[in-house]
Parts: sequence; C-alpha cells; structure tokens
Amino acid sequence: MRTLLYGRNVDRAAKARARLGLAVLVFAVGYSVIAGRLVLFAAVPDSHLVRRSSAADAVATARPDILDRNGEILATDVRAPSLFGEPHRIIDVDEAVELLTAVMPDLDVAELRERLSSRRRFVWLKREITPQQRAAIHRLGLPGIGFMSENKRVYPNGVGAAHVIGHVNIDNQGIAGIEKWLDRSGLADLHLAGLATDRLQKPVELSVDLRVQHAMRDELVKARDKFKAKAAAGLVIDPRSGEVISMVSVPDYDANNPREALDPTRINRLTTGVFEMGSTFKALTLGMALDSGKISLRDSFDARSALQYGKHTIHDFHPQNRVLTVPEIFTYSSNIGTARMALKLGVEHHKAFLRKMGQLDRLRTELPESAEPLVPRRWGELNTVTIAFGHGLSVAPLQAMMGLGALMNGGYLIPPTFRKRTEQEAMALATRVVKPETSEKMRYLMRLNVEKGTASKAEVPGYYVGGKTGTAEKVVAGRYSKTKVLTSFTAVLPADQPRYIVLIILDEPQPTPETHGYATSGWNAVPVGGAVIARIAPLLGLQPRFELPASDKLILASVKESR
Amino acid sequence: MMRLLNMCVIAALVAAAAYVYKVKFESTRQAERLANIRTEIRREHDLIAALRAEWSRLDSPARIQDLAKRHLALKPIEPRQFDRFDTLPERPPDLVPPDAYDPIGILIDKPEIAEVPPATVPARKGTTASVPKRTTPSVPKGTTANASVPKGTTASVPQPNSSSMSKR
Repeated sequence: MRTLLYGRNVDRAAKARARLGLAVLVFAVGYSVIAGRLVLFAAVPDSHLVRRSSAADAVATARPDILDRNGEILATDVRAPSLFGEPHRIIDVDEAVELLTAVMPDLDVAELRERLSSRRRFVWLKREITPQQRAAIHRLGLPGIGFMSENKRVYPNGVGAAHVIGHVNIDNQGIAGIEKWLDRSGLADLHLAGLATDRLQKPVELSVDLRVQHAMRDELVKARDKFKAKAAAGLVIDPRSGEVISMVSVPDYDANNPREALDPTRINRLTTGVFEMGSTFKALTLGMALDSGKISLRDSFDARSALQYGKHTIHDFHPQNRVLTVPEIFTYSSNIGTARMALKLGVEHHKAFLRKMGQLDRLRTELPESAEPLVPRRWGELNTVTIAFGHGLSVAPLQAMMGLGALMNGGYLIPPTFRKRTEQEAMALATRVVKPETSEKMRYLMRLNVEKGTASKAEVPGYYVGGKTGTAEKVVAGRYSKTKVLTSFTAVLPADQPRYIVLIILDEPQPTPETHGYATSGWNAVPVGGAVIARIAPLLGLQPRFELPASDKLILASVKESR
Repeated sequence: MMRLLNMCVIAALVAAAAYVYKVKFESTRQAERLANIRTEIRREHDLIAALRAEWSRLDSPARIQDLAKRHLALKPIEPRQFDRFDTLPERPPDLVPPDAYDPIGILIDKPEIAEVPPATVPARKGTTASVPKRTTPSVPKGTTANASVPKGTTASVPQPNSSSMSKR
C-alpha cells in the first residue's frame, strides 16, 4: 500500500524534513508580511483621518490672491457652500423639490425636478449659496442632498481694475486678463491634478497701483461725461521699469459681474484696440530724425505752403506759413514739417526705425488680449508721409507708449509688464534703440511743448510736466471724418528725470461751450491729463519742485556739455 | 524554575500589550485632535479671507471718496502744500509748558467723558473760546469735551438737518 502511494525506495525522513522546511518558509513569509504591514501602519500616520476633513472641499480650485503694488487686495478667494444632489439616494423627489423651493424661491422648479429625477449619480443644484440658506436646507434633513464648499472668486474693487485683472468663470477658471494668464502659467495643471486646494499659494503682485487706478478712472468718467465722448482711456507707465501703474478704459465692467464684459463697447481700448495715434506719433518721427544725426534741433523745414503729394495735400492744423525750426515743428504740431523730415530720411529708414521701436509687431504682455497693429501692406513714400504724423498706421496705445518710453528713459526699449519688476530686471530685458542724447532732446521738446506749445493746459506747477497732444481724425466709411476724432495726450513727468508716462485718450469727444467749439486734444485730453497728473503725482510720491529753470537750461544743458 | 520564567514572560507580555494599547489609543486621540485643529485652522483661514475681502471692499478708494465727499470738507492736495525738510523752520520754544492741562490728552485717556450729552453747549459756547488752559480740572473737562463735539457736528451735517426741519 505504501509503495503504491509513495513509490518504492523513498527516504521518508528526508521528505519530512523538506516538508517541515517548506512549512517554516511559508509561515516566515506570512509573518514577515504581517510585520511589514504593522511597521507601515506605525510609520505612516492615519491617512483616513486627514482625508476626512478635506473631503468637504473636493473641488480643488483655490486661486492665489492678486495684490496691487502696495499689497491691497484686487482679487481673493472666499469659501461659499454649493448645493448638490445625489438622485439615486433621494427617496421622494416631489417632497425634496417642494422643500428646497420653499427655502430658495429663486430655484427653477421644473429644472430642479428634472435634475433630481435624472439617472446621474451627482448633480449640482445651486452654486454659491449663503450660509443662512445652507443652515435652512441642512435643517430640512433631506437624504441625498449635500453641500460642498467651493472657492468663489471675489473682486473687492469690482470696477477699479477689471480690465487688468480679468475675471473667472463659475468653475474658478480664469477666462480673461491676469486671471487667464495665471491659468496658462501652470495653475490650470494644478487644478486638473487636484492639488490646488491650499489657499496658502503665493499671492501674485501686480505693478498696478489701486489708488492711481481709482483716481484715473474717476477723472476719466468725469471727462467722458463732460465731453460726451464714446470712450475714454488712460495709462500710466514707469518708463524705467516698463511697469504699468494704471490702465483704465471706460466704459468698463464689474469683474464680479463678468456678463457685462461681453458688451463690445466695454473692450479695453489700450491693448485690444488699435488706433491711428495722430500727432502723438510725431514724437517717434522727431526721435528718429534727431537720432539719425542728419537732423539737429537747429535745422529748419519749409512749412510755407501745404505739402503736395500726388493728388493728396497735407495741411497743418495750426498753419504758420513760414519756415519752422525743429522745435517749432513739434510745438506747433506741424504735419508738413514732420512729413518733410521723414521724407528726408527715406522710407526704409522710417520703416526700420518703427520696427526697432516695436511699433510694427504685435505687443505681447501678460494680458492674453492683444491686437496686431495695422501696417500698410505696400509702404510707399505716401505712407511714410502720413505715418510721420500718425495716420495710416494703427497701433495699440500701450505699444505706442512703449516706444515713447524708450525716447524718454535714455533710449532703452523695455517691454511693458503688469507684474512688479525692478529696474535691474527691466534692464536685463531692455534693448538700446536710441542714443541718450536723443532722449534728452526729446524730453526738452516735450517740456517745451507744455511751456509754450499745444499742451500748455497740462502744466501742473511743481511737477515739470512735458507732453504731446494728438488729434487723429477717425476713418468713417473709408474717409477721414472732420467731426469724429480721437484725441490723445501723452505726458512725461518730471521731464528732466522721467518717472512716469501718462497717456489720456478720448474717443469722439464733442465740443462744449467751454472749449469754444473745438474738439481738438488741447481742449479736452490735455486738461484731463493735467487733472490726472495733479491728482496722481502726490499719490506716486513725486516731490513737487518749484522755481525750476526753463527747459532749454535744465534739460539741454548736459547735451551741450557733451557736444 | 521554568514555570516562574513562563509567568514572568506572560506578565511582561500583558504589560507590553497594555502599554501598546495605551500608546495606540493615545495616538488615535492625538490624530483626531490634529484633524480637528486642521479643520479649525482651515475655517479660520476661510474666515480671515472673507474678512480681508470685506475689509478691502470697505477700504476701496471709490467708497472712501464717496464717504469723504459726503461727510468731510477735505479737498485734493495742491502741489504748493508740500514742503521740503530743509525749509522747515526751527522748532519754536514751547508755548505751552510741559505740565499744562491738555484737553485732547484727557479725551484719549478717558474716552467716556466725550460722551457727555451736548445739552449745555449753546449756553457755554461763547465762553469756551476764552476758557484759559489752566483752570480747575473738573470744569474744563465738560466744556472742552462738549466744545469739540458740536464743532464737528455743525460743520459736517448741517444740510440734512436744516432741510428736513424746513420741510416740516
């Protein structure tokens, strides 16, 4: 029998030892697994306890705060409970609908009933309810109805900086402005991975100053009402760092109510719109002329009669009918003079200079909204003539200010930014585009224009303002209109050591009795610019200085020494 | 001998088990406390965020400007109102001796005397201007406190009062 089972010559003792060994091995493995698990349990803390508390905010959509340059809150997250339902756990749909609508009368009954009787496992019933409603619904004790606390984005200074900050959708995803930029620079991935729960994310500091932003907006709203303009826009940038201190475009919208942003009249005219900047552009032409070395401040150009070019005639708005020196061309804002200046240097030089100044390519900043400049496809001499005084080339105003900033700050083209940046960081990005002497001469011209030129109404005692006006006729049905104009004013303060550049734009201002029937820049944009400067200069910490010498002594002196 | 050893080992085992149980229990308790504190911290964070949002809403320049226009007679600063430190005149010799009676200082120390009803003011108004700085402390306390109240109120809210009065 045994031989039948085990074969004939088996060493049973050896076999028993082998079995014993196997059993020992199995038990050893079993116990070591148990021991290993025990060590794991001891080493890793109770994870289920931690998880329990964070289950309440399963929707991980925290966003970092957005602060202005002084640390004031522009956008922050607030927790708000949201109401959801799990239809498969609801016992009586009718009762649930009745009770819920009793607490929240604004709920749509039909939609609520449809959602609760659907076969889905999870439905949102209402996003962002109040704590009182939450308590009331909790007291109803309905099964299958629950709350989840979600992050709600709030903008305490709703309209103050809406065009800069942008806004978010109901799922706390940025869809415009800096909010969208945040998402594109990594936050969206964090959201997808469900890691953005922590509200201790590092806040984003912007270059915008909330107080300046408000002062600017206040003045622009007043100006828009006074001159019955279609729109008004204002910009303050720091030419040394490229920081945008303030950017306002009215009509604007309340960031807490993003639906308003859909209205096309509320676009941000400073980055999203392109305009023919008019005489403001003459500053760039003058800068080009002075930087070329072929034209100096003592040269003069013939402006005795209108400039004939083919079948087009170029007139001056303030015709002097005489030979004008270069500074006079600037202060009388002579179209003829600037056009002749550009012609002397040639089309290619003009084009190359404007490209170098970044006026021909799309300007990209943190803001996702940007517009491509409208550059003539064939650029002939006529284009150079008109572009010299700011017609025929449409650029975004922010772009034009970047170019002007380079003419003011000593010759460095610095891309503008909406985030805080130091001068050193800016210099790392900067490219030299004009000579420092050119910059000094340009500042002299800007100051001269306020002392005795078209921008005299912008003089704010103590701040040594320099400025250039611009009145661009708008194209209506393919022709330049005489009545619909875009007036602008560009200021630099103080002109001897530029700290800030201010731009004011009024779209289609109407003449009023006080302006004696004129709608040109000197009568509307310039006084607004003066009012804005008087209001923001103390906020920006500029020290007023009085009894300063005239511009030719203060600014030009150093240029002459170097000659 | 063997038996004694066994007893000892069993006793040690029981003691160790009891100790481990105690440690385990304690750790659970601590973990729960930790979770509670975490929830509390989260709630506090949320509250702080809500309060900060509320504060910056109340602090927004647009609102402050509105309030200032309605209640204060302040005007924007003129550049001429700034001056530099080097043009600051020398400090004048003290007009008021250091131990003089200080009406505002007393208001800060004892805010309750500011809440004296301003009933007696019109009668005393003429005299308050000429009240000397150093008198017996009990009399000027009332007068100076009252004098500061009506000055503020008559300057800031005359219109609503007078208009509503005239309607009636």
